[in-house]
Amino acid sequence: MKIVGRHDEAPGVKTLRLEFQDPDDHEQFKKTFRTGMFGLYGVYGEGESTFCVASPETRKEYIECTFRQSGRVTSALADADIGDLITFRGPYGNRFPIENFQGKNLLFVSGGIALPPTRSVIWSCLDQREKFGKVTIVYGARTVADLVYKHELEEWQERADVDLVLTVDPGGESPDWKHKVGFVPTVLEDAAPSPENCIAVICGPPIMIKFTLISLKKLGFAEANVYTTLENRMKCGVGKCGRCNVGSVYVCKEGPVFTAAEVSRMPAADL
Amino acid sequence: MTRILFSDKLDDCIARWRSAGFTVIGPVTKDTFSSYAAVEHASDFDLGIVLPDRSLKELFFPQTEPMLRYTIKQQAINTEDFTPPPGKRLIFGVRPCDAAGLSIDDPLFGWDYKDEYWFQRRNDSVIVTIACTKADDFCLCTSLKLAPDSTNGSDILLRPLENNNGWQVEELTERGREAFLPIAELLQEASEPTAPTAVVPEMFNLDTCVEWLQNPENFESKFWKDISMRCIGCGSCTYLCPTCHCFDIQDEGDTYRGIRRKNWDSCSFALFTMHTSGHNPRSTQSARWRQRIMHKFNYFPGKFSVNSCSGCGRCSRQCPVDMGITETLQKISTLHS
Repeated sequence: MKIVGRHDEAPGVKTLRLEFQDPDDHEQFKKTFRTGMFGLYGVYGEGESTFCVASPETRKEYIECTFRQSGRVTSALADADIGDLITFRGPYGNRFPIENFQGKNLLFVSGGIALPPTRSVIWSCLDQREKFGKVTIVYGARTVADLVYKHELEEWQERADVDLVLTVDPGGESPDWKHKVGFVPTVLEDAAPSPENCIAVICGPPIMIKFTLISLKKLGFAEANVYTTLENRMKCGVGKCGRCNVGSVYVCKEGPVFTAAEVSRMPAADL
Repeated sequence: MTRILFSDKLDDCIARWRSAGFTVIGPVTKDTFSSYAAVEHASDFDLGIVLPDRSLKELFFPQTEPMLRYTIKQQAINTEDFTPPPGKRLIFGVRPCDAAGLSIDDPLFGWDYKDEYWFQRRNDSVIVTIACTKADDFCLCTSLKLAPDSTNGSDILLRPLENNNGWQVEELTERGREAFLPIAELLQEASEPTAPTAVVPEMFNLDTCVEWLQNPENFESKFWKDISMRCIGCGSCTYLCPTCHCFDIQDEGDTYRGIRRKNWDSCSFALFTMHTSGHNPRSTQSARWRQRIMHKFNYFPGKFSVNSCSGCGRCSRQCPVDMGITETLQKISTLHS
């Protein structure tokens, strides 16, 4: 895949836009990709890393991925320039069944670097806005600088058909910060979206997911109406290498998208 | 009357198999260390050992193997897929537990995406198993509902004769039958008594253990911490295990050329599941040992209807701190009552 776009989102966090080099691969991707799926992005000589496809299923001319530079592969990806070639394996895994969300209100709850998978679902729905009810997005990061997709947050802020609630952790606010200060689950409870005819999509670090699930329960959301995506470490992506398992579930094959009801059947200590 | 392969004919058999295009492999001891390795003569075999130190797994799923080779020249990337070198293999003197290990992993490598490396090697290999006439204190096949003369995963089962001068031949599969055609005239029809198979006492009641493992309340039992206190996370048990199949994918090379490799990995290692953020779903050694036991006796059978353990006992036999599946399951079976 060729890098055709490159954007700094936050300190150490980058987005790459990739275009297929082989038309057949692109056709295959167009046929199979649905929002929620993931891929393995690689640089020869360094290896492969697993991230979600951050672009929506309504825009399949390219793939976008957003990642934090941390190890060998992500450093190589971060160093790659426009025009460079990188590898992509996928799309793998299951998806958010957004056709079942039609006619319903949507609540997106996300934290930090976990906005990318949520963003894929958000745009997949906003690109066919008329099919869905009220759209609420609750997004938080450790600090103002750590918020990703800042330009898109502004866009959502300005849209009359999207309610955006932004927050940063206490101490992470800047002097001119006009939004909330507090942890995502608390801010979510304050915003108190109605569970009536509403689907919640949550994604964040494991600790945020844990407490957000509790908050959603308090707000009256049924477990079957809450979806999340588990971003476990993966290598093969095809149900063999053994590291993404939670209990008997292969996250790469049976996930990464699960309802809260499915997550509650997994051994909590292994999440 | 049954067909007998007498030991003194084995050398001729090997020669015939080799001229029929087979690489002949079997238990070999080098210095103090035994494994399944290629042989040229019957005298190269070490058929007297209880079982080789290393399992049969590595002949089908090597410790490290290339997946692809890449070269990069001025923005042009060329890759070359690796496929295992083709070639028929006859593996002689396999232990029933090692043969069973292969059939246990077949559904894993075959579900959804089919692992071509595994199945090419499976299709190219004839498994000639010898029933065990001796066992040691670590053998536990009977506890896993297998036996010293199990046929799972084998193409031929050989039963040692009482006089220790040959084997009774049982053809189990078409592949086995075909592989024995080149040596048909070296076999003799005779009625020789076979030696009794090894006595392997049952060490625990597997059903009782599985029932305990399946109870969600026991997932966070203090038992897991106690039993794995002395585990040093070295991964020997997983590497020696005939059924452990976890692997890593790593690149070796530079910007211009290199190899992408598939390497054995282990659920005993802390890095195995560690997220980029530093969060680790299985952050303690006890969580990792629990995963290994749960995977083998609860998750894997739930998915593929077979336990991911064939009872070879290598995990206990070679453990540097004397742990292992036997001890863990023995203790679990007492917790239940």
